[in-house]
Amino acid sequence: MMAINLENVTKAYGSQRALDSLTLGLFEGQVTGILGPNGAGKSTLFKAIVGLVRPDAGRITVLDSRPSWKTNGQIAYLSDQCRWYGSHTVQHSIDYAAAVFPHFDQKRAEQLLASMGLNRDVTVGTLSKGHEARLKLIICLARDVRLMLLDEPFSGIDLVSREKIIQGLIESFAERKQTIIISTHEIREAESLFDQVVFIDQGQVVLSGEVEALRQEKGSLESIYRGLFQ
Amino acid sequence: MEEANASGLMFKLDLSKPLWEQVLHQIRGAVARNDLQPGEKIPSLRDLAQQLKINPNTVMRAYQELERDGLTETRRGQGTFITASQQKIAEARDLLAQEAVREFVSSMKALGIDRPAACTLLEEAKWS
Repeated sequence: MMAINLENVTKAYGSQRALDSLTLGLFEGQVTGILGPNGAGKSTLFKAIVGLVRPDAGRITVLDSRPSWKTNGQIAYLSDQCRWYGSHTVQHSIDYAAAVFPHFDQKRAEQLLASMGLNRDVTVGTLSKGHEARLKLIICLARDVRLMLLDEPFSGIDLVSREKIIQGLIESFAERKQTIIISTHEIREAESLFDQVVFIDQGQVVLSGEVEALRQEKGSLESIYRGLFQ
Repeated sequence: MEEANASGLMFKLDLSKPLWEQVLHQIRGAVARNDLQPGEKIPSLRDLAQQLKINPNTVMRAYQELERDGLTETRRGQGTFITASQQKIAEARDLLAQEAVREFVSSMKALGIDRPAACTLLEEAKWS
């Protein structure tokens, strides 16, 4: 079963094609890695899935419907950009998320705060990059939704925060079997998390498949990535 | 090569080979060497995934295979345990021994050493 299907999706910014007749299917109940260099089209892909970007051509199906506010109720989206109310504490931000996001499980958020080592009384404006990334992930993982889209959850983050994030993801996935899509170029840390992987470049799929089969055939994802993009 | 200690068991994972097979092999090895005792409880799927930082589906695939081989038994609500059957454990040991022999033979062949010479080397090898 596919959670997401794209057929010949194109999106251009001026003469630059961020998505170039992109066709791909993402499996339900699995963890899929979207791998590619900066500018490959990863963030545009995510934005198209949640309807923030309208394709020039092609067709997108998400959880059996067109991208819309209604389907977004079932999607937790960790965007590459994020704004906070600077005077909010971590606790305020959680309360705010609980008020605005559908299917937000406050109890689960509390557990995640503890397991990921965040202090609820700290002002978000003063959080380190790593702690801010943890808070973003907690807000996604606390939502009891079918689909999770995580755009670069590890980039520019210290080792300990990265490990906490990976730990949080494994815990959540073991419990709920959601569909999780993660874009990253930090392959080494993340590659053992994926069931499926899609390598994209210049808005097109260059290779995709089941990770364990690719390992058998070609070796580690890191070496495949090097081979593709070097 | 990533090393990880999971509930007292050492795992070495090589990201260039299928991970589920490595988890399977290493648990089998621990049983054959008696690092895991008959009847001993093994980590839950979730704990092992967490400790090895790998996808729970990967661990599940290894655990299913262990169960199919009769090397583990899952008791509802209690967890997964190493079999108490000495026969199953002996089978696992034989399987690993045969594998080691195959590797030995192919190493000897690669060195141009024939069977009688390899046997002589084995006779002369120290066992203790």
